[in-house]
Parts: sequence; structure tokens; C-alpha cells
Amino acid sequence: MRQVTGLTSTYSSDEFGICSALFELGGLVVMHDASGCNSTYTTHDEPRWYDMDSMVYISAVSEIEAIMGDDDKLIRDVVSAARELKPRFTALIGAPIPYMIGTDLPAVAGIVEEETGIPSIGFPANGMGLYTKGISMALAAVTERFAQGETGRSREPSMNVIGLTPLDFSLNGTAESIWRWAEALGFRRGACMAMGSSLDEISRAGEAHVNLVVSYGGLEAARILERRYGTPWIAGVPFGKAFAERLGQLVLEAAGTGGREMAAYRSVPRAGAAGRDPAPNPARDAARGKESPLLVVGESVYSASFAAAVELELNIPTRVLCPVDTEDVLLREGDRRTPEEDDLIEAFRGAERVAADPLFRQLVPETAEFFDLPHEAFSGRIYDRVNRNMVDVPLDGFIFGGTKAPRGKGPRG
Amino acid sequence: MLKLAIYGKGGIGKSTTTGNLAAAFAVLGKRVIQIGCDPKADSTINLLGGTPAVSVMDYMREHDEEPERLDEIAKEGFGGVLCIETGGPTPGLGCAGRGIITTFSLLEDLELFETRDPDVVLYDVLGDVVCGGFAAPIREGYAEDILIVTSGEKMALYAANNICQAVKNFEDRGYASVKGIILNRRNVENEREKVEAFAAERGLPILADIPRSDDIIRFEDEGKTVIEGGPDLPVSRIYLNLARRLLADEEGQKGQDT
Ligand SMILES: Nc1ncnc2c1ncn2[C@@H]1O[C@H](COP(=O)(O)OP(=O)(O)O)[C@@H](O)[C@H]1O
Ligand SMILES: [Mg+2]
Repeated sequence: MRQVTGLTSTYSSDEFGICSALFELGGLVVMHDASGCNSTYTTHDEPRWYDMDSMVYISAVSEIEAIMGDDDKLIRDVVSAARELKPRFTALIGAPIPYMIGTDLPAVAGIVEEETGIPSIGFPANGMGLYTKGISMALAAVTERFAQGETGRSREPSMNVIGLTPLDFSLNGTAESIWRWAEALGFRRGACMAMGSSLDEISRAGEAHVNLVVSYGGLEAARILERRYGTPWIAGVPFGKAFAERLGQLVLEAAGTGGREMAAYRSVPRAGAAGRDPAPNPARDAARGKESPLLVVGESVYSASFAAAVELELNIPTRVLCPVDTEDVLLREGDRRTPEEDDLIEAFRGAERVAADPLFRQLVPETAEFFDLPHEAFSGRIYDRVNRNMVDVPLDGFIFGGTKAPRGKGPRG
Repeated sequence: MLKLAIYGKGGIGKSTTTGNLAAAFAVLGKRVIQIGCDPKADSTINLLGGTPAVSVMDYMREHDEEPERLDEIAKEGFGGVLCIETGGPTPGLGCAGRGIITTFSLLEDLELFETRDPDVVLYDVLGDVVCGGFAAPIREGYAEDILIVTSGEKMALYAANNICQAVKNFEDRGYASVKGIILNRRNVENEREKVEAFAAERGLPILADIPRSDDIIRFEDEGKTVIEGGPDLPVSRIYLNLARRLLADEEGQKGQDT
């Protein structure tokens, strides 16, 4: 059945993707919806909520305001809050109610900007799209609006990281590991969109020599910077030794020559391809005997980087299954989009090895090996304790030495 | 690109006017798209020989998913006019206004304007602006000018007034503005005077005065506009002149802008 999730959970929504991407940028962020959405976001999808201040609000639209299409109250509330809080910008985020009654949030944002002089952005989200789309919209809008000054490249080579949010990367140290990897390559830290950087740093994003896109959510922003400043982008997350090295080479090349935009893992040959014969390793060679590929489920750049790392280092074939928004340029040939739960059930049939969020275990045959890759945008904080920074985890330890949690029941039928 | 939204009371002659205007623009050599924004889904029927296009809402109802190609919901009619109907939900259910917005974002996804590169886009929109969705055609990026079709009848003028009011409410939003009135006659007493008074009060011109015409009804029975059926008829000339005037105004506008 389409658009039905019967056995697992659903991914976070476009609304929350926008909130997450904007959380640290000093804006007044208002979800225009009935009260309640905000607690869903803060409880399940925002691990920074209790440790960091941010102006994320809900407009608490009422039934009668919805019937009357009373945008004036929203405008008044946002204008008065903005005058009091003096945010760097305001963001008005659509949700199911404004979607149904057709509220024109970009137009409302225009009025707020007119009245306050504060840059304001209206987002046509609806709470039904996925978080990936929300992150993409938010980072693109911030880039479009703020990263636009005339600027030259920084003297020392520098790198921006784009598309980094706790929804895809949690707060388990992955962000720091990515920066350490970049510094080891000789890059100075540029802006991070959007964890750990201020709006001012982001507005100087044009200075960087290269942009590292670490999720689909960062692709559109990287394209804007490419158009505006000619900055090349490379997509990938530096998992595993061999893949991190390859990604590093591509990033250095791109920074040096302005080389071509690409997802780094797309140039990794499929495991088992002729000409590669890594040093003997009994555990790996035993695993390699199995025909069935390791299925990696999740966001495209994260999962495809992880899969490529496994192939390069362990020579185990893989396939990525991507249930969220992405583009073909961010997938390798043979990888698939699986937007429906039914697609995944189908893809898991006969699977022998699966790396995915633990909530997907329900769909995987009991005979398969299952490797936990908790994904905050899917299971929230449930698996925080086993949610590891995979940039620093040795891959063979993960695949061959990993302990397996007790499994649940397989899918019915 | 000339982007017009035609508003007016139900049954007043919006689709008749829009269809004839579209045909007139086509005869003048323009590439035209007409988008019917009315659950009735009959806006373009006289451009299509009486067989309507599959409406977007009907398509979604049947397939339970969005069309992937434009040709699944768009059909070329007289003079190459590309005809699209939003359609609407089952009467008594759902939300027709939302259907219009959904159709627009779908057309954007299908890159309608990029691929067709039209000279003229006409939105034929239901009567009173009853909810947010029916104002979608006048939002930024869609129609730039609004034409209001009315007769001298009280209810038609009432609806016309509502539309002017709605547009006024949106003044600070950069939406479309009312360009003028099209008088589509119903032969009520002092019709011209009544409509002139209405227009003058709002500082609007009467852009065309279309007589009640049996030819319109005759060709409608054949699934045709009068432009197609009888291009030399006096009523056809009125539509052609209106089309010329709108194009000339746009040219003038362009001249001013540059
Ligand atoms: N000028 C006119 N002369 C004669 N009949 C007309 C004229 N304008 C409209 N009609 C008739 O009125 C009916 C309703 O017109 P239509 O264009 O469908 O209205 P709307 O789109 O506003 O609901 C149609 O059958 C049409 O033939
Ligand atoms: Mg009609």
C-alpha cells in the first residue's frame, strides 16, 4: 500500500527539518500550526533543545483563525515578537493547517520584513514532506539570502561543510570528526551549515575553496554557492580509512583546480570488480563468500558513503536503499530509492545483511544479520546509547565484531 | 509574458470570455495556455471541440498519484492553445481551493512554463473568492492582471465587488491588480450605466462590452468558440480587439520597464 507505514516509524517532517537547519542561526523561527507540533520537534527531533538557546516557536493557530484565514494575527504576533527579541531573521514555516487553507507564507514574510526591517523568509512546508526537503529548503534559503557579499577566497585553503544537522548526524561527535579529517588534509574550518557556525560565518561561505556536502539537504545550498562563487562541491562523509582517503583526494583536487562536482562514492567501483585484490583477511574472505550484498538503509550521502567505505575496505558488495528525498547524482548505480515501507519489505526479502536504523529490524528476515545504524530523523532519541560516531568506528570491527541486539519479530506474511 | 486571471460570478460568462480570448490570442499568432480553476472543469471545452481534458483532480482521484508527464493532464485545442483544468473534489466533499494550489505546484514541478514558453497565460477562476485557494492565481508568480467579468445584474456586481475587495486586502503582498471590467451583457435595464457606475467608483475601465449573442450559444453547441466558428462575426471582432488591446498594453508596459 502506498503512503502507509504499518510496521515501522516515519521520518521527521519538512517542518522539523527546517527548524533543525535553522536552530543555531539566531533567527526567530515560527511554525505556523496548532499548538503541539513544537513539543513533537523538541522531544523527538531536537537533541540540542535543552542545552542551547534557540527562538523556535509555534503560532498556535486556532480553529477560527483557520476558518477566517486570519493572517493578520500571525503577522502581528511575529512582528511584536521580532521587535522584542531582535532576531537576525524570521522564518515562517508552513504546516498542515496553513497548507490546507492555502496561507501564502512567503507573502506574509514579505509583510513582516516590510514592517520590521528584519530579513524574513516564508517556507512552503506542509508537515507531510520529509525532513530532507526541509533541510534543503532552509539551507538553500539561508545561502541565497545571506551568503551573497562580494568576497575572495581565503588565503589558506578552507572548506565548508554543508548539510550537517543532528537529524542525520546526531550529537555523537561525527561533526567534530569530519572537521578533524578536513584539518588533517590541510583545510581551515569554513562555515558549517548548520552546526557550530554563526550566521556571520555562513554569510562568508563564499570564501571557502571547496564545499563538502554531507547530506541531500546540503546539495541545493552548495549549488547556489557554485553559481555565485564558482565554489566546487564534493559529496561524501569520510567513513572508513580507504574511502576517507579517496574523498580527501577528490576534495583537494576540487579545491585546487575547481574540479568537477560529484558524489565521491560514485567513482568507487563495485566490490568484486576485477583488478582489486586486497590483502588476505579470513573473516572478510568468509563474508565475501556470501553472494547477498549488505543493504544499507538511510539518507543518501550518509548511506552511500558508508556503503562505499565497506566495499573499499572489506570488499563486501553493498546496495543502498534510500527512503528519503535525494537525487540520482547522490546515488550510485544500483542503489535504489525506497519511499514506501512496501518497497523496503520487498527489498529485504532474502536479505542476509542489513545495516539500518534498529526500528527497521521489524522488516528484515530473522535469518539476516542486522547492524544498527541509528538515525535520529527516524527513531529520535530511542537509540542514543548505541548511536555511534561512525567516522571513528573501524569498519571491520563494526561488520565482523559487532554484537547484535536481540531481534524482534520479522514482518508478517 | 501576458498573465491574466479572469474572475466573476458563477455562470456569468468567464469561461466563454476566456476561451474566446485564448482563441483570439492564438489567431493573432500567440502561444497560449488556458488553465481552468473551477471545479466545473469546463473552462476549455469550447477549445477542444466539446470534449474536455482530464482534470488534474480527476487524474489524481483515478491514479492516486501525481502525473509525471504534462500530456497526461494537458491537451492542445484550437490554435494550439494548451488546455488544463484543475477540476475539483466530489461535490460536497474535500477542498476545491486546495485543489487549485496543488495543481499549481504540480504544474511547476512539471515545468509547464519552462517547457512551453507561452506568450499568454489565462487563468479562468470561479466566482467569488471564497477561500484562500481561489486567490492562488493572483499570487506572486502567477497572474499579473485581473479581468472581472460582470453583467449589470445585482449578484454579478456583488461578486465583482468581492473580488475587488479581496484584491485590496492583498495590496501589501505584491499580488496581481485589477486591470478592468469586461461587461458581458445579460440585457438587464440600464446595463451599461450600472456597470459604468460600478467601474467608475473603483477607478476601473470597461475593457470590452460583449453583447448577448445567439452565435455564442450556437457555436457552443458545436463545441466551438465564436472565434473558431465565425471569426468575422461582430462578436468575434470584439474578442479580437480586446486581445489586441491587452497585447498592446503589455508591449507599452515592457517599453516603460526598459
Ligand atoms: N455573451 C453571451 N451571449 C450568449 N450567451 C452567453 C454569453 N456569455 C455566456 N453565455 C452563456 O452562458 C453560459 C454560462 O457561461 P460560462 O462562460 O460557462 O460561465 P462561467 O464560466 O462564468 O460559469 C454558457 O452556456 C454560455 O454559452
Ligand atoms: Mg466557467
